[in-house]
Amino acid sequence: MKIRTSKFFIREGIGSLRKNKTMSAASISSVIAALLVIGIFFIIVLNVDYAASNLESQIEMMVYLQDGLSETIIASMGEELKSVSGVKDVQFISKNQALMDLNEKWGDNAYLLEGLEGDNPLPDSFKVTLINPSEAGSVALSVSSISNIERVVYGKEELNKLLKATYILRVGSLAIIAILIFISVFIISNTIKLTVYARRREISIMKYVGATDQFVRGPFIVEGVLLGLIGSIITTILVAIAYYYSSNFIKNQMIGLLSIELMPMKTVVSSLVLLLTVVGILIGIVGSLLSLRKFIRV
Amino acid sequence: MIELRNVSKKFANGHVALNNISLNIDNGEFVFLIGSSGAGKSTIIKLLMKEHETDSGKIIVQGKDITKLKRAQIPYLRRSIGVVFQDFRLLPDKTVYENVAFAMEVTEASAKEIRRQVPIVLGMVDLSKKSKQYPHQLSGGEQQRVSIARAMVNGPSILIADEPTGNLDPEMSWEIMKLFNEINLKGTTIIMATHDLNIVNKMKKRVVEVSDGVIVRDEKRGGYFSENQNL
Repeated sequence: MKIRTSKFFIREGIGSLRKNKTMSAASISSVIAALLVIGIFFIIVLNVDYAASNLESQIEMMVYLQDGLSETIIASMGEELKSVSGVKDVQFISKNQALMDLNEKWGDNAYLLEGLEGDNPLPDSFKVTLINPSEAGSVALSVSSISNIERVVYGKEELNKLLKATYILRVGSLAIIAILIFISVFIISNTIKLTVYARRREISIMKYVGATDQFVRGPFIVEGVLLGLIGSIITTILVAIAYYYSSNFIKNQMIGLLSIELMPMKTVVSSLVLLLTVVGILIGIVGSLLSLRKFIRV
Repeated sequence: MIELRNVSKKFANGHVALNNISLNIDNGEFVFLIGSSGAGKSTIIKLLMKEHETDSGKIIVQGKDITKLKRAQIPYLRRSIGVVFQDFRLLPDKTVYENVAFAMEVTEASAKEIRRQVPIVLGMVDLSKKSKQYPHQLSGGEQQRVSIARAMVNGPSILIADEPTGNLDPEMSWEIMKLFNEINLKGTTIIMATHDLNIVNKMKKRVVEVSDGVIVRDEKRGGYFSENQNL
């Protein structure tokens, strides 16, 4: 396509957007309505997923060591553990440290531990965090082949449940977002159909003077992109403001009740901008093309 | 040259619009297509523009059988045929200049060509001074001249006019006919469907009369009515 032609498309697309102000406003409103639903749902999904990832990353593996190993052996074991693929971080917890932690944890009941200082039954251990919790099984297997290890422990059952739940959540939310996009395309193509109907005369004149179908579509595609873009910008701003206030509200209300941590504003907005812009433009283009179908056959 | 060979067209509602008609029009001819409403004039025009499909027969335009044209090739056929309608069909929110330039934009002509060609055709229809006005600011005759300029701007070899004077008073109609005559003298074939008996009688051009989907009369220099009817 010639640059001149694209310029013509852009000029005509912008021109018709400005000329048909009422219809443009109606189309943008329905884009906003659709994107609001998608955007809000997306934010909820993002946060649930964020919480799930937080939980996943809290899954840790405890590697208990045999008793009475020298410091050099322990140090070399630490190095060996770090080199196992899938391991993110390794932290050594001495038996004394473990007892102190337990003391702290038990609080008022810590007197039960009295007298253990002399003959500490707790083993030395490594706390291993994983890059990807779903690899815990294979990591555990590699780790247990290292010598001088007593036992490898991780919440196998719980981990599997969590992984399954987050998987369902991710796939399910993708499916719902896809359905929402599909519905929006229909709603918007119907709105755009009204603008196209108002301009069927113009389309038929274009066809009479020898415009190709591609040429007739050009300005409408530009118009669709602009409708989608404007709609997505407005929606992003609306959703971002709403997120800012509601996350503050949740923080203030829920603090102490639940340890909910919402995703930071910046991350949310940047993924929101990307999603809504892409979806908005897509909706605009597909909506325009769908509504043109009938009128282009002259 | 335009040739219709045994062309028939029946509409979905069962109405037979054209029944096995044949017609030859040479390059540079001026042909009036007459007949009562629904006789088949508009169908002939629509088949030439490939707005409808032909049921049977061949339509040859400039050596090509257009009944075999693929959908994607139709725009290129239309660029070689200018059309003028009774209701002008101008874009109301474009100026005279833009309306004419539009027909060239559509063919992806260069900006330079457009800037050169549009003023020439606007001069031809004597509207150079009104190029910045909008259609609603013009008289009916002027609007029709804009649509003629638009039809001619891509230099078509054929100009088809469907009742071009139907909405105009006699004075304006003659302006249009004068223009058509000039265009025809420069070599463009003109096919004009009309009900205007004064125009047909005074112009003394070829007359093809259609009635109930068949050609009932074809005279080299005819009038609106055949000789015996005139008596």
